[in-house]
Amino acid sequence: MDVRLVEETPWRYRIERSGPMRVPGVVFAPHGLLPLDEGDRALEQVANVASLPGIVRASYAMPDIHWGYGFPIGGVAATEVAAGGVVSPGGVGFDISCGVRLLTSELDRDTVREVLPALMDRLDPLIPRGLGRGCLWRPAGRRQLADLLRGGARYLVDMGHGVPRDLDRCEDGGAVDVTDVTQVGDRALERGAGQVGSLGSANHFLEVQAVDRIYDEACARTFGLRTDQVCVMIHCGSRGLGHQICTDHVRRMEAVMHRRGISVPDRQLACAPVDSPEARDYLGAMAAAANYARANRHLLADAARAVFREHTGHGLDLLYDVSHNLAKLERREVDGERRLLCVHRKGATRALPPGHPDLPADLAGAGQPVFVPGTMGTASYVLAGVPGNEAFDSSCHGAGRVWSRHRAQREIDIRHLRAELVAAGVSARPTSWRSATEEAPEAYKDVDAVVTASERNGLSRIVARLVPLGVLKG
Amino acid sequence: MPHTGDLAVEAWAPEREECVAEAVRGAVGGFAEIPPGAVRTEREYELADDTDERLLVAALEEMIFQAETAGELPAQVSVRRTGTAVRMRLAMVDSALVEQVGAVPKAVSLHGLRMAREASGGWRCHVTLDV
Repeated sequence: MDVRLVEETPWRYRIERSGPMRVPGVVFAPHGLLPLDEGDRALEQVANVASLPGIVRASYAMPDIHWGYGFPIGGVAATEVAAGGVVSPGGVGFDISCGVRLLTSELDRDTVREVLPALMDRLDPLIPRGLGRGCLWRPAGRRQLADLLRGGARYLVDMGHGVPRDLDRCEDGGAVDVTDVTQVGDRALERGAGQVGSLGSANHFLEVQAVDRIYDEACARTFGLRTDQVCVMIHCGSRGLGHQICTDHVRRMEAVMHRRGISVPDRQLACAPVDSPEARDYLGAMAAAANYARANRHLLADAARAVFREHTGHGLDLLYDVSHNLAKLERREVDGERRLLCVHRKGATRALPPGHPDLPADLAGAGQPVFVPGTMGTASYVLAGVPGNEAFDSSCHGAGRVWSRHRAQREIDIRHLRAELVAAGVSARPTSWRSATEEAPEAYKDVDAVVTASERNGLSRIVARLVPLGVLKG
Repeated sequence: MPHTGDLAVEAWAPEREECVAEAVRGAVGGFAEIPPGAVRTEREYELADDTDERLLVAALEEMIFQAETAGELPAQVSVRRTGTAVRMRLAMVDSALVEQVGAVPKAVSLHGLRMAREASGGWRCHVTLDV
């Protein structure tokens, strides 16, 4: 598809409507963050998404936009249910409900420096990650796995893992209610049974971090953040179960799309009207995967909490847990009318403004916490939702890759990466250093520039910058 | 420009089934180094064969599924048509013995998926795996 890019402001570009596009594209990025390398098709993906039936307002791209499947990563699109709007599994991504949780401690960076080696020595063998490396919790059978898929983190708290406050601070109270476990296939269940409480590989991690700088004192106070405070950030999703659900339902939707008169410019944009049986089945399975992802992060967090208590005498409190790969049915005002929308956020974080009724009461004054993991050698950010966000209350989700994995392995040698991390004061424990080179800081955009662009575009405001002290990667 | 997030595999061979086997070998080589002396167990799987692309996807999905659920990776791969079915034989090694050298694939994407006979008569495929 032809992509005609127009600079609207130094921080934002519009993709003009052309061909089958029903709405324009809007890219919330300055020129330096645009994916303009020869052959990069991320902007074409923004335009492709704009052709989805029922899409309203615009096909949005966050500042960390990069090349995905069907949707770009960093893509946000809302479709109107009553106008034949569709849900597309490609608008959620393979890793359904991949997300981030941040836990805070009462400890300072200087205190932890002494015990960090012991903490990392304990976390390293405990946290399952990488190729076939087990899980923290194994269901007794299919029935118990189904209970977990229906109950998410709530089910685990009922079983004695974690504390009720963890649920107050998790999106949807730790579980989505509208699951349909019958739509999770056998292969997905089999893959999911052995991975509850595991990080996986690629860009997923558990990091011990320290608050490097506070940008918004009032907001940070509400979030319980202060300079030099030690935190733990966990980034992972629904593992093989989510990937299998996406694969199965894309295949099913692709098989029936032509009967519904829907054509899309990319097979990975396969979709179905939200009120169709195929869409209902997908949304029921997607919700089950979302619950699995929350349960997964919940168990990893509870394990990290136990290690902190054992080695420092202090536990960890959950600040918030939020997904960045999900579709949600949300009632929102469009052109002066309240409408039911299916909001896809793929590599984009929901960012509710202050006072929103879905926020925990003690966070509502500040807006929803948004977590933006950078890289293992640079920094991560805590942002907060703001009023007037035109992208259906969405913000960025990470630094955004610029190099392929192959290029990263080719250009970064292990000695260089290890030296870079030592110089940054980071104790890294990857399962494989060769694999870790794919995640080298050089393979990503500048996370400082990404969050600045988010703030300049009215998507969120910067609250705090965190730097890594200890990194576990798969 | 290769896809930024994931593992792209391109394979070719004179025969269709051998091309699929090459793609599986290439995919495994992208994230795992299997020690040559590791104990192997022979397994056999029947693959969906509705279309050429479907066959390629089925072979790679089976490898991913077995890696996750059985903790095994293939040291040797062969794909053969026997009668009306296509079967994949894998000489499996316990993944605990394997060195991880890249991000582990989780799904086969439809992005740029190609599996076709070339003008020369041989077969060539291209597939991108999500990690």
